[in-house]
Amino acid sequence: MTGAASKRFDVSHFYGLVGLGLAVLLAGLGAFHYMEEHGHIVSGMNNQVVWGTPHVFAIFMIVAASGVLNVASIGSVFGKTVYKVRAPLSGLLCLALLGGGLMVLMLDLGRPDRVIVAATHYNFTSVFAWNVFLYSGMFGIVAVYLWTMMERRMKPLSKPAGFAAFIWRLILTTGTGSIFGFLVARQAYGSAILAPMFIVMSFAWGLAVFYIVQSVMYAWNGMELHPSVLRRMKNLLAVFVAGTAYFVAAYHVTNIYFARQTEFEQFILVSGGIYPLLLWLGFGVVGTLVPLLLIFLPGLGTPRAVLFASAGVIIGAFALLYTFIIGGQAFPLQIFPGFEASSSFGDGAVGAYSPSLPEVLLGLGGVAAAFLITTIGVRILHFLPQDDLVQLEAANPAD
Amino acid sequence: MTQLALVIDLNVCVGCSACVTSCKEWNTSSAAGPLCDGNPYGAEPTGTFFNRVQTFEVGTYPATETVHFPKSCMHCEDPPCVPVCPTGASYKRKSDGIVLVDYDKCIGCKYCSWACPYGAREFDEAGKVMKKCTLCVDRIYDKGLPEKERKPACVRACPAGARLFGDVHDPDSEVSQAIREQGGYALMPEWGTQPANHYLPRRKTQLHIHEDELERSDNPLLIDSELPQPGTGEPSLDDVTSW
Repeated sequence: MTGAASKRFDVSHFYGLVGLGLAVLLAGLGAFHYMEEHGHIVSGMNNQVVWGTPHVFAIFMIVAASGVLNVASIGSVFGKTVYKVRAPLSGLLCLALLGGGLMVLMLDLGRPDRVIVAATHYNFTSVFAWNVFLYSGMFGIVAVYLWTMMERRMKPLSKPAGFAAFIWRLILTTGTGSIFGFLVARQAYGSAILAPMFIVMSFAWGLAVFYIVQSVMYAWNGMELHPSVLRRMKNLLAVFVAGTAYFVAAYHVTNIYFARQTEFEQFILVSGGIYPLLLWLGFGVVGTLVPLLLIFLPGLGTPRAVLFASAGVIIGAFALLYTFIIGGQAFPLQIFPGFEASSSFGDGAVGAYSPSLPEVLLGLGGVAAAFLITTIGVRILHFLPQDDLVQLEAANPAD
Repeated sequence: MTQLALVIDLNVCVGCSACVTSCKEWNTSSAAGPLCDGNPYGAEPTGTFFNRVQTFEVGTYPATETVHFPKSCMHCEDPPCVPVCPTGASYKRKSDGIVLVDYDKCIGCKYCSWACPYGAREFDEAGKVMKKCTLCVDRIYDKGLPEKERKPACVRACPAGARLFGDVHDPDSEVSQAIREQGGYALMPEWGTQPANHYLPRRKTQLHIHEDELERSDNPLLIDSELPQPGTGEPSLDDVTSW
């Protein structure tokens, strides 16, 4: 292609992607409008499963948002130059995912029109209120961090801003994990391990999202990832994927050890239908085993293999969150342990939930919002990570 | 401090669900209402109920019995649903201990529903806010009603009189006496939430009847056999008396 033809191709593809993103976003907003008009009664949610598919999307995006910033933190806080050039893209992705996730979270509220009440009435004994504060703070801190990276005069402040963002993101993910960790009433939650588990999950999911976006941008611009950078990133991804699997395993094994939790574990690991299936096949195989094999098997570990591994990690993340959030609610409250309770209201029975189309569309709308922010952001701000190849060659002569 | 609560006698409750329907009727047409109903005549009805009756089997077949267990908000003295509310919409009244939701401040995040170990929170899918038993707060203080009617709708509706209402902090109240004298207990006290509502346990009434209680030891029939029957041709009492 000539230069002009290439540019036309580039522009038409950009607008095509923006159009696609806008269409999905509009579908999501339409779904929100439908649920807002008719109430949650038209969704799959009910009195037992009160958080449904939109929360799976929202929590994935919020957790991944804090994780994707990890790429910048490795550069600014830990001084790794390979990651420093990736810090602006990392910051932008963080804002995009956080924006998309919060959009879904807010539009899935019973009364999204009262979001101003949530912003003006803080009950600080509520971990949920902390999160409202942490999410809005994250936006501000990452925006300042991006500013310090982009504005030459602010460069000296980049490191402290990066450090602040790193600390804030750790607290934020602790807060997200604690939404579940502080819940003692339902058997699936109420564990101190959930906060660190969410932090490790964020590392894996954020890096997977970053790798996919970076790969697409490189492919778009006809660039190739330097092998030494690829090696670092895939090894890091593998460590985080293994770390996530370790925490999930520790959480379930601890539960199995507690007699009062064995019934729940039997449900979520063996007899619960879709939930064990998603946990073992979705998270265990597609989200953990396959990515590790794609990264480490001899002959694999190529940029394309790592791209598939990243996609697997994200699919696994959704499977894990679906099991964790919806499976945890579906298991009935044990008000009469050892007895079989029943009523015409479904008490004592496993909660029925099947995702409705509006819920899925709302979740996808959030992803589309994040996609649009990223696509337009990287176009306007030129955040393409460009490695100093001379320096890399000097540092890694073997590659 | 006053702590209003319900005391439910499981020995008396027959699971007729009159409390469920009267609660729904009052609350759907009062300040808290309307309470939504989804697919009410279908196979899987949904809807918002402040009070539900759970039924469970105790024992192993064939030695089983059925217990009906009406359950609504426990109005805990240390309610776990209150501190988790991000906007403070969920609160406990100092004056009478009733746990309420400010429907104007509730954003419908449903986090309180996760925190309640009793499953007493009900999201109104049409009203889009979290609702729960109010102990008929709009009724019990209504001076327009005769004093004896200032009770929660469920208490008034119970045909067996299984539901008592009053101040569990007042040692002389009917509910305190019932708890004290009939072994009243709270549901899942191990949570430390100190539920204000109490249940009176099932009580087995067992009566041992001995043979000699069924037959009089001085029964003359045992000695003299049966009394002689008069013959059919004999005059009856009417024939031999003049009055």
